[in-house]
Amino acid sequence: MPEPPPKRKPPTNQELIRAVWEEARDLVKRLEGSTVQRFSVEAGDTKIEIERRAGVVVAEAGGGGGGGTMAEERKDGDSAALDAGHPIKAPLVGTFYRSSQPGAPPFVNEGDTVDAGQTVGIVEAMKLMNQVQADQAGKVSKILAEDGDWVEFEQTLMLLEPAG
Amino acid sequence: MFEKVLIANRGEIALRVARACRELGIKCVAVYSTADAESAVVRFADESVQIGPPAVGRSYLHIPSLIGAALKTGADAIHPGYGFLSEDPYFAEICTDEGITFIGPRPDVMEKVGDKATARELMQKAGLPLLPGTVEPVNTVDEAHDIAGEIGYPVIIKAVAGGGGRGMSVVTQEEDLARLYQTTRATAQAVFKDSAVYIERYLETSRHTEIQLVCDAHGSGVYFGERDCSVQRRHQKLIEEAPSIHLNEETRREVGEAAVRGALSVGYTGAGTMEFLLDLDGNLFFMEMNARIQVEHPVSELVTSTDLIQEQIRVAAGEKLSVTQDDVLPLHGHAIECRINAEDPDKDFAPAAGRLDTYVPPGGPWTRVDSHCYPGWMISPFYDSLIAKLIVWAPNRDAAIDRMIRALGEFEISGRGVKTTIPFHLRILDHPQFRSGDVTTDFVEHFMSEEAAAAAAAS
Repeated sequence: MPEPPPKRKPPTNQELIRAVWEEARDLVKRLEGSTVQRFSVEAGDTKIEIERRAGVVVAEAGGGGGGGTMAEERKDGDSAALDAGHPIKAPLVGTFYRSSQPGAPPFVNEGDTVDAGQTVGIVEAMKLMNQVQADQAGKVSKILAEDGDWVEFEQTLMLLEPAG
Repeated sequence: MFEKVLIANRGEIALRVARACRELGIKCVAVYSTADAESAVVRFADESVQIGPPAVGRSYLHIPSLIGAALKTGADAIHPGYGFLSEDPYFAEICTDEGITFIGPRPDVMEKVGDKATARELMQKAGLPLLPGTVEPVNTVDEAHDIAGEIGYPVIIKAVAGGGGRGMSVVTQEEDLARLYQTTRATAQAVFKDSAVYIERYLETSRHTEIQLVCDAHGSGVYFGERDCSVQRRHQKLIEEAPSIHLNEETRREVGEAAVRGALSVGYTGAGTMEFLLDLDGNLFFMEMNARIQVEHPVSELVTSTDLIQEQIRVAAGEKLSVTQDDVLPLHGHAIECRINAEDPDKDFAPAAGRLDTYVPPGGPWTRVDSHCYPGWMISPFYDSLIAKLIVWAPNRDAAIDRMIRALGEFEISGRGVKTTIPFHLRILDHPQFRSGDVTTDFVEHFMSEEAAAAAAAS
């Protein structure tokens, strides 16, 4: 089992996305029954645009060259379109590692091109290493989870710009 | 006392445990599968962790995810609820290894009481009455013949590892013994991976009576009276009540004391239940012990004015029981619980799950509803069909039945495809035999064939 590396600075981008998303979600609730169809929430370089159509919420996130989904947003199937890319999600609860062992180079970096089935990380649960694989080919546009982060089931770890 | 408890369960029991934690000033962590993301306990809990997909093997039964969630959130104890991992000694052991308190008995004790043959032997030593029969597994057909002849027919052959009504055969005459002995062993091997069987007297009619107890780690135990759970269909309990009107105070104290003695003699700690059969002459026979809190615990809470989950948490934290035997006896009044399931009683209790459009629980005096449901909640086909436990209390049994009928009549549950067992409960409560209290475990079966015959005659 690799030793979790020393804590880095908090992932401010992720916190920002979370705050913006929460704000946007509250707005959606308050707008229930109204005729507003489109609005956006912005903070720093993170921006979330929401479009509402016949009771369905379609959300898009952008900014800083990517966007992000928060773990809890999977609760709402209708907001799956929040991603600005194809999400690669945690296969189970555990600690996320970007490399095979401490000091080793990461499996992937932002901007790398990956093949379908390629290992892009590891989620460790009770000393068992579970490989995270890309389920399609593409370019890694954004890595959302830090090395050593504890992740929930289906938390988005990174985003992929699908090939082609 | 614990700072933070992780609840390794879902549905009404997860919420029930969370409520007990809140009242004790303990923070609670809910874990949930993707199907339960909008569940009541997730809303209620101080923290929550999504642990996996709907399939229980990868969520509520997936030990690494549960332990991971507990370590991450800094929970110092895990409450397993009932079902799932509540009686898994391996899980309890892993919790201990990780420095997390498992709220239940020690793993080795759980293993002992979980093995029926061992449990029977231990409880017999502690002075609990057993049905005439073997305590040791029966290993040959010859041995089976000798034992059955000694006990007298009918006898029942049971898998040591069996449960839930599977792996048992009733033998009414000697000619059938050899054949049924072999088939039961084969079934036991196939289903439970253990061919060991034992033989005991078969009671054709009996009442399901169980004693609730809680033991602390300081050598004290208290029994919280008994419950009668004779209204069952295919070993699934439908209605439970406390006390049993068939036990007198003397027997209650005698068996209760023996149950506590038996539990303490094996080093039992936490909440547990001893199951007995009560024959029509008033004799009790020990069947097995359940090393967990049970679905029907609220009826015992209402007649003893005790929060059993709080006691369970307290003793797991190493504290002493907050009540003494004298505090809980004599039992006060009468309580009844109906399990409202999303099942269609007119279609052989087929699952009838779906989204709840209407969910209006009853209210009024001495009416308690333990449920995780709310309007819009989806009763998921992935999990059990329990919608709510409706529990009422009254000074006596008759008044409790009247109150239950009133409360069931108020309960509004509807949704596309959703059917409930409420109409069935109402018909049972209205039956003169139930009203008289003369109910044995074959009552529901008779009741259903009676209804079928009446329906056939009417058409």
